[in-house]
Amino acid sequence: MESLYLLIPIAALFVFIAVGIFTWAVKKDQFEDLDREGQRILFEEDDNDNSK
Amino acid sequence: MSLAPCHHCGEDVPKNLNIQSEIDNQVVDFCCYGCQAIAEFIKGADLSNYYQHRTEKAESAQDKFNSENKFNLIKDNELYPLYVFVDEQTHHIQISLKGMTCAACAWLIETRLKQLDGVTSIHINLSTSLATLEWQPHLIDIINIAKEIQYLGYQASPYRADQTDLDIKKAKKTSIIRLGIAGVGMMQVMMSAIAIYAGDMQGMQQSFKSLLSWASFVFATPVVIYSAFPFFKAALRDLKTRHFTMDLPVSLGIGLAYVSSIYSMLSGTGHVYFDSVTMFTFFLLLGRFLEEAARHKSHANNRNQQELSSAWRILNGELTEVPLSKITKGDTILIKSGQSIPVDGIIIKGSTSIDESSLTGEYLPIIKTTGQHVVAQTINVDQNIEIKVTAIGKQTRAAAIERLTDRALSEKPKIAKIADNVAHYFVILVLICASLTYIGWSLLGSDEAYWIMISVLVVTCPCALSLATPVALTSATNKLKDLGLLVTRGHVIESLAKCQHIVFDKTGTLTHGQFDIHSVQSNNQSLCLDIATALESESIHPIAKAFNQESDLNVTKLVNHTGLGVEGKIDNNFYRLGNINFVSKWSTPDLQSFDSDFAGLTLFLAEKKQGVIGIIYLQDRLRPHSLETIKDLRDNNLKVSLLTGDTLESANSVLNSNSFDHFKCQMSPEQKWQWLNTQNQSSNILMVGDGLNDVPSLAGANTSIAMAGSSDLAKIHADAVLINSHIQTINLAIQLAKKCQRVIKQNLFWAASYNTIMLPAAIMGFVPAWAAAIGMALSSLLVALNASRLSK
Repeated sequence: MESLYLLIPIAALFVFIAVGIFTWAVKKDQFEDLDREGQRILFEEDDNDNSK
Repeated sequence: MSLAPCHHCGEDVPKNLNIQSEIDNQVVDFCCYGCQAIAEFIKGADLSNYYQHRTEKAESAQDKFNSENKFNLIKDNELYPLYVFVDEQTHHIQISLKGMTCAACAWLIETRLKQLDGVTSIHINLSTSLATLEWQPHLIDIINIAKEIQYLGYQASPYRADQTDLDIKKAKKTSIIRLGIAGVGMMQVMMSAIAIYAGDMQGMQQSFKSLLSWASFVFATPVVIYSAFPFFKAALRDLKTRHFTMDLPVSLGIGLAYVSSIYSMLSGTGHVYFDSVTMFTFFLLLGRFLEEAARHKSHANNRNQQELSSAWRILNGELTEVPLSKITKGDTILIKSGQSIPVDGIIIKGSTSIDESSLTGEYLPIIKTTGQHVVAQTINVDQNIEIKVTAIGKQTRAAAIERLTDRALSEKPKIAKIADNVAHYFVILVLICASLTYIGWSLLGSDEAYWIMISVLVVTCPCALSLATPVALTSATNKLKDLGLLVTRGHVIESLAKCQHIVFDKTGTLTHGQFDIHSVQSNNQSLCLDIATALESESIHPIAKAFNQESDLNVTKLVNHTGLGVEGKIDNNFYRLGNINFVSKWSTPDLQSFDSDFAGLTLFLAEKKQGVIGIIYLQDRLRPHSLETIKDLRDNNLKVSLLTGDTLESANSVLNSNSFDHFKCQMSPEQKWQWLNTQNQSSNILMVGDGLNDVPSLAGANTSIAMAGSSDLAKIHADAVLINSHIQTINLAIQLAKKCQRVIKQNLFWAASYNTIMLPAAIMGFVPAWAAAIGMALSSLLVALNASRLSK
């Protein structure tokens, strides 16, 4: 159980790195279009079909 | 009426109209030639997948818009660098798009533009309706790109970010980060919390419990300090203004629970509440974020670009096109037929008819001649005129309407929000109870006094109470969006539910606001229509819109007679189409033979030798389901009134005054607003309108809904926009708002009774801290589940 003393801080570190990346992504305009990106994958399939 | 709706825009196809094409091996119907042309173009470009992928119908193509003009203007040497970033061969521009309804629209435009030679890259942001385009001007002209977008049925104009847009963008990023941090923080704290709860039940060494508390503390701190910052800020404002809203109990709950958790963590006594704090913050932020996103979207749809208008100035006999900003009072400018008039002025040369429907709602143009005034935002229909500018910009009559609107907004009756009303007394009550508990237990000499007080605060924590309203509103707002009503102000759902009196504008709201052929009286109806269509083919007069078909006949020598009609030559025969005075110069029509009581517009078609060969009756067309909706609303005991700038005859031609409680005609924008004010005192009003003349009333009514095709100003000042233009949605929205109100009341009742039952127990010291925390979480969950019933 003593390993928790190491594991929890490591987990915390990861979380802070993740939050850092998230913040960076928002600032780099990655979250500008919340309405569209979720559906993009559906359309790209068709693009490939057309190019075949 | 079992006709299939228009394949492109989903509007009902008018009876007797036969516009069909073959798309995807199926014969489909269209509501107008505009929609058909778009669908054919999409098919031609091999992009028919659009119709399979889209989740929303397109906007109807009936409104014509000229994208080219706007792009022509930025070719001005001064304006070009403001809009276009030049990087050697490649030029970059941002384009504002109108008419996009779902992700398939963005795909359609991107894919089409990528097919063009010279377009290097195109990226469309659906949330902001902006496209970022890179193109090579030596390969393709930007105007041709704009034309392609227009062929697809969307409106494009050059875009340049103004301060509001930049502010919005920044605010949006901040809220996403706040929300993200609260979400991640919440999940981490929950994990530790579960361990702590399990430990409480099964037994856990104090050292591990303390470790987990510390971990929770580390994750909860950014959530409280950064994510919950807006609540604290608002609470501070409440304290300054002495008017308590829900923000105060929310901040109090978050702040006290956080501080006491730290104390408990350091002292190793009591209970930590980090899990409740973070979860609560996250859910509140989520509700707020969704509401903001809806508001920003409506802003994105309503950008207007004043600086991209131009005027033809006549200076020393020379005619030049200059940007509007360079025109000053006293200049002489030429207004071409079909142009919108950008300034107020007096006609000094020529006579024409002016379409003043945006100001008055009267859709028949008014004839004006030398010496008469014309006002900004109206449209010159027939002839070129020269006017002397009397007012520009803020001095114009249209700008006066904007000022009136600002006043109406500031005097708008406030709908008190239930939760905020409750909050005011709730805060005071909670604070009194908590302090009395602390004082009482201290006097009794208990060591636990502080912890009992914290229990009281947690039990009375307004989680369920403050979530009760936002969760219900969020879920109702989403449902309304699916129904076709985009809510842009927070109070709409509450005020819709309380609405007792619905006031409609006529032209453009209950009706389409344009002429439609009612019937034709002739020996040869189809020939008669063909000739009329050919004669009107070049005209931009509102009447011509009724003849929006294509004609094979070849017309020459077309002459437009202002206020009378059109004349032209087909196959060596001279024809005239117009009012009775116009054709009676050739032959007096037999007055017995036509319906002189017809309440609409009667057009006569005459041939020079044969005399009158046909009579065409025109009428403004009601939107589908207008009458049923009015009846349904009245059946539900709501008052329904009509306010129009139009004349009584014109209003009577399509609507029966018996269907309304009040039927007011020839109202100016000021009068409309004044009338609403007198009604406002007795009942809650919902105003539905579209034109510039409705704007002050829209701003001044308790609740207002603008139609999808409204003027930009109307959309900005309305509380909600009816994006699908289906009048019957209003009835559905009111029903839903009422249901939402019931859910809010149930939620509040539950939250309040939970708090009242638990409060005495907590004051007596019967509720252990962990039970208080679990109870709080459960009551919040129940409230959220109840609200989710609304979205079904």
